[in-house]
Amino acid sequence: MDQDARLNYLNDYLGSENPNAAEQLIRDKADTAEDKIALFRGLCNIRQPESVSEQFLQVQDAFLTQWNNERNVTSLPDLEAVQPQLYLWQGDMTRLAVDAIVNAANSELLGCTQANHHCIDNIIHTRAGVQLRLACDELIKAQGRKEPMGKAKMTKAYNLPSNYVIHTVGPFIDERGVSPLKEHLLASSYYSCLALADAYQLNSMAFCCISTGEFNFPNQRAAEIAIQTVKQYIRNTGTKLQVIFNVFKDEDLQIYQSLLARKE
Amino acid sequence: MTKRANFLFIEKNDDVYTISMTPELQDDIGTIGFVEYTNGDTLNVDDAILNLEASKTVFEMASPLAGKVVERNEAAISEPTLLNSAKTEENWVVKLKEVDEEAFNQLEEA
Repeated sequence: MDQDARLNYLNDYLGSENPNAAEQLIRDKADTAEDKIALFRGLCNIRQPESVSEQFLQVQDAFLTQWNNERNVTSLPDLEAVQPQLYLWQGDMTRLAVDAIVNAANSELLGCTQANHHCIDNIIHTRAGVQLRLACDELIKAQGRKEPMGKAKMTKAYNLPSNYVIHTVGPFIDERGVSPLKEHLLASSYYSCLALADAYQLNSMAFCCISTGEFNFPNQRAAEIAIQTVKQYIRNTGTKLQVIFNVFKDEDLQIYQSLLARKE
Repeated sequence: MTKRANFLFIEKNDDVYTISMTPELQDDIGTIGFVEYTNGDTLNVDDAILNLEASKTVFEMASPLAGKVVERNEAAISEPTLLNSAKTEENWVVKLKEVDEEAFNQLEEA
């Protein structure tokens, strides 16, 4: 099967699981490779965490392996530390091959359920494969309640180039703005992810800018808390973890560059 | 005497330490819809006292002190919005004994 045949198979399978949604997602005919990928992504995004056939997984994994590797994959040796154990990298986190990438999740912990939404939770789940939502569903069912803010959970990364995904729910900022509790919860998210990575004896991990996207945390303050918490953690624990701050927007790149250029 | 830590009040009456909600915490998390206490007779510092789901936050409440749990606000399980109340007799969370007084004294004044 080539990529086109795989996509046709996957979209047929997902479409037959959920015929109404499939119809809504195919506004026009999904003819081009791009349309087919968008349809596949959308159908995966809205898919409930229900079991899936072995054959589906085989085809999906083959498709995702090729799709994910069509891009340049970046790993730690490609990067230069800006400070001891600290790295800064701009780009799509799903192109990183490190021990763990940190996903900015929500309290349902099941990944973004909005078809083709441009958030990190969405692209991580899409490129990891449907197994990721199933694994998260198992974790959240075992816990018996929603995921609190400021904690962390680990799953495998499935088809992503990294080994693990650490899922954390950062604080949500509403019209009343940042409060001491929200700042505490953001620091707690960073801290919990670091502690979990150490508990699994990982060597490298990459943080996204937790809470700054859909959760409205002001970028500058969030970056200050991120860097301060990571540095404090390294100092207090003596961990050997190599930590990448992964930014996507130019605005965040500039903020992190300026903060990391400062000496203590 | 009342102290403040982990966004909570801690009120000491003889050897009983009552932990309750601060107005700031109530404002921050919004209307509480679900409360689930953790099990266990004792708490260490930063152990979860309870998990709650509110309109704006899913939150694990961490204990500011170590101690023996002598009473929980069981009424808040069936009526979670009690923890949104301004009254301490309604918004208290847990009562502890066998608390290290020195640890209490070192907390910030409320």
